[in-house]
Amino acid sequence: MNTHDQFRELLEAYALGSLDSVDRALLETHLASGCAECAKALEEARWLVSQLAYLAPNAEPSDMLKGRLLQTVRAEAAGGAGPQAVRGAEVPWWLWAGVAALLLFSIYSAWNEQHLRRTVTNLQQQAEAQRAERQKLEEQLRVAKLQAHEAMIWMDPKSVKIMLPPKDPKMPQLEAMWHPEMGLVVRGWKVPNPSGNRVLQLWLIPKAGGKPMPSMTFWPDANGKFSAMVENPPDTMSDTQALAITEEPVGGSPQPTSAPMWVGGVS
Amino acid sequence: MFLAVFSPKGNDEVSLDATLMQQLLRRDVSAFEELYERHSRIVYSLVLRILRQGSTAEEVVQDVFLQLWRNSARYDTSRPFVPWLLTLARNRALDHLRLKSERQRRREEQTEEFPQIASAAPEYEKALDEKRRAERVRSLIGSLPSAQKKAIELAYFEGLSHSEIAAALNEPLGTVKSWIRSALMRLKESLQATS
Repeated sequence: MNTHDQFRELLEAYALGSLDSVDRALLETHLASGCAECAKALEEARWLVSQLAYLAPNAEPSDMLKGRLLQTVRAEAAGGAGPQAVRGAEVPWWLWAGVAALLLFSIYSAWNEQHLRRTVTNLQQQAEAQRAERQKLEEQLRVAKLQAHEAMIWMDPKSVKIMLPPKDPKMPQLEAMWHPEMGLVVRGWKVPNPSGNRVLQLWLIPKAGGKPMPSMTFWPDANGKFSAMVENPPDTMSDTQALAITEEPVGGSPQPTSAPMWVGGVS
Repeated sequence: MFLAVFSPKGNDEVSLDATLMQQLLRRDVSAFEELYERHSRIVYSLVLRILRQGSTAEEVVQDVFLQLWRNSARYDTSRPFVPWLLTLARNRALDHLRLKSERQRRREEQTEEFPQIASAAPEYEKALDEKRRAERVRSLIGSLPSAQKKAIELAYFEGLSHSEIAAALNEPLGTVKSWIRSALMRLKESLQATS
């Protein structure tokens, strides 16, 4: 008996599953070498071994088993998923790829939306800061222009200086400078703030003896200092007899409601 | 040399099983029911003989037929159906009998979840229908000396190895190997013989 015949003798026991580990390993090595004759004989041996099932005494399963099985099978058939489709591994690859792509796209969209929201918020904050900065610069420019304008009025030789002595000797004297084209500036130091919700208001007293003409309102700072300018006074210097200042409610009055606190004649 | 007798009934049955299995692919519940009607008795008999407990045997049979329903695509319709189904049922029952024991591992190494069965049935399968094959098997094995018959039963229904059978029967290992092989050879000859 050659080696090949020895392996043939093991095939039925191998199909039966009764070979011990050493014989099984030897036979499997031989089968792995590609022996077609033994492979075919093994298939027949497996068929032969399966026939031993008929040695089992006849028995009948319960009707309940059939009922349970058919209930499960009908439910799965009606569920739309085919017998093969219940296995995850048999879902087509392109479907998994599609699901994965959709998931990635959703994640990217959510991230992108958040990113855009943050960008928009940052841009809005930057725009707001730039707007505030521009307003601040515009205010500084306006003040600088005003100061420059006031300085020009004070320095120009065409301007006329007007002293406004107080009616109350305890109050400081005020002074004004009136330029025929550039306007009128009034300023003072150590002037007490008006009481309550009141402001100081400038009046032009006409030479013709008419009613006092209302002009700007103003109030001193915390140190009692102020400098107020009127670019277009309500009357010309030549038609004005005097300047007067009274205390009036905030917003000013169309005609004086209190006695003048300062009065200065225009020469 | 054997003299095969052509049996139209046997061939028709093989062909019918393959057709029914193909219908399972289309989720045909009536095909499943017919397969169950045709084969549930032998499958249940085999599993009950291995497990010896009715309720557990029904669980395993249910598992086997559900596997048939859910994985019908994995069955090669060119292969003989009944031996394939019986091998599947035996494997499942032995799995249940000895979960993760050494013997189970040994058997798992040489069998797959869906068992390997001859790609084409032996010629003599066509000579006898299932009922007559069953009679031949019972008759032949029943005629063996009781110790030899016991060795075959321990191997097939208990999944024991040659060494384990020798120990269980208190017989030499070589004797057990010889008994099993000679029994299977006689069975093969019996199935090849004409009626």
